[in-house]
Amino acid sequence: MDEITYNTKKATGAKLDLELLSKVMDATNTGIVITDNGLPDNPIIYCNPAFEKISGYSRNEIIGHNCRFLQGKDRTQQQRQTIANAIANGEPCNVEIRNYTKTGKLFWNELYISPVKDESGKVTHFIGVQNDVSSRKKSQLELEMANSEMEKTIEQRTQLYKESQEYLTSIVETIRESLVVMDKEYKILSANNHFLHTFKVSLNETKGKLLFELGNGQWDIPELRKMMEEILPTNNPVLDYEVEHEFPHIGKKLMLLNAHRIELEGQYKDWILLAIEDITERRAIQQRKDDFLSIASHELKTPLTTIVGYMQMMERLMPENATDKFKNVVEKTGRYVQRLNQLLSELLDVSRIQTGNIELHREPFDFDRMVVETIEGMRGASPDRTIELSGKTEIFYNGDESHLIQVLNNLLSNAIKYSPAKSTVGVQISKISDFLRVSVSDQGMGIATDDQAKVFDRFYRVGEVQRDYPGMGIGLYICQQIISNHGGTIWVESEKGRGSVFNFTLPINN
Amino acid sequence: MNNKKILVCDDDPGILEMLELILEEEGYEVVLEDKSVNALKKIKAEAPGLVLLDIWMPVISGDQVLRAMKADGMPMPVLMYSASTDGKAIANAAGADEFLAKPFDIDVLLNSVSRLLER
Repeated sequence: MDEITYNTKKATGAKLDLELLSKVMDATNTGIVITDNGLPDNPIIYCNPAFEKISGYSRNEIIGHNCRFLQGKDRTQQQRQTIANAIANGEPCNVEIRNYTKTGKLFWNELYISPVKDESGKVTHFIGVQNDVSSRKKSQLELEMANSEMEKTIEQRTQLYKESQEYLTSIVETIRESLVVMDKEYKILSANNHFLHTFKVSLNETKGKLLFELGNGQWDIPELRKMMEEILPTNNPVLDYEVEHEFPHIGKKLMLLNAHRIELEGQYKDWILLAIEDITERRAIQQRKDDFLSIASHELKTPLTTIVGYMQMMERLMPENATDKFKNVVEKTGRYVQRLNQLLSELLDVSRIQTGNIELHREPFDFDRMVVETIEGMRGASPDRTIELSGKTEIFYNGDESHLIQVLNNLLSNAIKYSPAKSTVGVQISKISDFLRVSVSDQGMGIATDDQAKVFDRFYRVGEVQRDYPGMGIGLYICQQIISNHGGTIWVESEKGRGSVFNFTLPINN
Repeated sequence: MNNKKILVCDDDPGILEMLELILEEEGYEVVLEDKSVNALKKIKAEAPGLVLLDIWMPVISGDQVLRAMKADGMPMPVLMYSASTDGKAIANAAGADEFLAKPFDIDVLLNSVSRLLER
């Protein structure tokens, strides 16, 4: 009896410890991540709120990824090798490395990596502890810069300043975008000709005024004001903020706003540059295109239904003594009618996504069974290819099964299409923390770094691919929309000539 | 109700003609109607064992026809079809017995037809 009481106490103590530990992790300003070395590509399985704050990514976008996503395109740093060696050898390491937040902002990360081992000494996890030391680094760099600046003569500086001012002015005046420079009180210091022309206003009624008081208060939007007020203290820019408003002189327009803190010669000024673009016409054209896509693909389906019906009747009514040649022609026609149907469905999907009509019909389903069946279907369609499945999730996922089948089918058919005839396609599924992760890998031509983000764009086709593999460039776009509708992320890791891995994660508790 | 008789209502003559050929080939008696405004009267007069209904038709849509049939107490099953992606939701809401997305497969269509007629 005593022993039981003791054990219960001990267990309660352990539970308290765990709760305390989790609160400490939540409260600390130091970013902490844990990766699972037992899973392929050593993915992140835990991050604390401080890490989200430092990196600017949300937990959804972090779990399941390898830590290298913080390095952006900056892949030549010596420190990378130090980290790679430490991880390969299961040793701790400490580096200061250039990392990038979600908005692409550079920060210096003082990173400690420690391996976690089990009784047998095998490394099961890594813990990464990170601090944003940008301000320390910045003052270091600024000090170095100040010293070197001292060596330059004042004359040189004056000349340089004059030249750069003229250079800047000429750019600002030539550019076909409305530009406004403000001080820290949002008082307008200057506006370019394009601004005056677009809004049909004079410099007199603009210069010296407060941004939020211009015209009939078109920019006096609480949300915009809040973002603008954060630019100087945080350096966070306002990106692609849309304002639809009935403007004086020019009527109802849709404007796209971007605002940044002004940086001159590596130093931030207390000035804000606001760029305004009139996207009214562009958006209207986009809308017309989307409407057209939607109507066209819908209207085309009706005659296609008739053709499919007659095609199948032709197969049924085929005389027994029909020649092989004739049978072959009928069979081929049937196949291309199916292809046409497939293309139309894709077009319809795009137009649905564009008009926001893609609805999720969520219902719990056996995720692993779905993956197995989809792979089976693909094996049936490409019997000469090997598709290897590894891992399992054992999850009944609450999502839109037919949409996720569509995603997997698309990734599999791409992997098959863009890789050599006999090479293997791999599918890896796993449960990581409260996310599902699926990776589809091929041994194909790979994707150049510059193209990697763009392959998910609508109608984007990698130049050389268009020649050899005709297509519309919408499959991956649809995949991305479906995955983000489920609250997940999709991304590609690839190197030219060395194959590609398309990955997506889905949050389990949605 | 005639269990060999099927009424098809669609504003597209191509679809009507194609469905007539397919269904007659299977030995069904087929009645066609290309104006949804006449559908209710025709169904009453012909008393088919099954009605095939397109959804998007001018003046009165297929789901409105189906609702009127239900209000009139017509007992025969109804199979709806459409190229529209929200077709299934519309058909379900109106109380259709089955829905097929265009373009449909003949085998799937004929299976549904014989199953619905056997009820």
